[in-house]
Amino acid sequence: MAHVTPRMKNWLTGLGAHIAVASKSGIPAVVVVDSATADDDNTIRFKLSEKQVALIRSQVTENPRVAFGPGGIGSIRAAYQFKGAGRLEDNILVVAVDEIYSTKPGPEAGLRLDVLPYEQVIQFETSRWLDNGPPK
Amino acid sequence: MKLSGEMKKALKTVGAGGAVVYLTTSSKNGNPNVVGERFVTLFKDEYILIAEMFAQKTRVNLLENPHGVITMSHPLKGRTWTFSGSATILQEGLPDDYVWEGLRAKDALDEWGDWALKEPPSEVPPDIRPPSLVQRGVITLRVETITDFAPENAGANISL
Repeated sequence: MAHVTPRMKNWLTGLGAHIAVASKSGIPAVVVVDSATADDDNTIRFKLSEKQVALIRSQVTENPRVAFGPGGIGSIRAAYQFKGAGRLEDNILVVAVDEIYSTKPGPEAGLRLDVLPYEQVIQFETSRWLDNGPPK
Repeated sequence: MKLSGEMKKALKTVGAGGAVVYLTTSSKNGNPNVVGERFVTLFKDEYILIAEMFAQKTRVNLLENPHGVITMSHPLKGRTWTFSGSATILQEGLPDDYVWEGLRAKDALDEWGDWALKEPPSEVPPDIRPPSLVQRGVITLRVETITDFAPENAGANISL
């Protein structure tokens, strides 16, 4: 399982995410939320509206693969992509993150972070970004 | 597909008053991929273009499964729009007469094939500015459906 860092959690809980699912035949759908909660180091929960649940229920049921990136200005300041297995618990989308990628433009675009030692990921973040989460 | 005047104004780079967007694609067997994109514009009223600079999984996905979804991200300003449709990459090197979904690749590439020269990311802070920008083509989505992503209205068709 992947290890979501404090910086990643701060962006996700502070500004939410753009969450992508797809049917088994590859037709994508997206819901956008403005907050999230982090249960532990790899489980992220998103509270959805009834309409958002209706929009993605069939996809998540037939194909639990979910991808998401931080919302708002996090789309550029927190250049990560998270992937994992999603399930709906009532109106909560629970994602067990198992892959984390850097989407920072440049030579590191697509770098898989979850396979690096945790200390190296922290070093990666602190050497590249001046913030530890969204602006207050 | 018609886009509103407000949408047309928003589908530009941030520095030109537009927004950063997310581009979502999927593999043919349903593994989704979502990436933030800064270099974006509307072209000939129905195509959204994004600079193809660092796309890797997006490229693989579009080659095998030509569907895309674009969602507005920042600044949002109530612009809770989702644009969906057929998508491809118009790559440098295509024949001059190559046409995709009614769009001649040469037209798009002549105008937007060197985005960094046309719209340099001068407002981007140093810690998130790409070290160098080498463009290989334009990711192109033909808008077929527009829906709302506001939670209370998610999925509602707002196509004009």
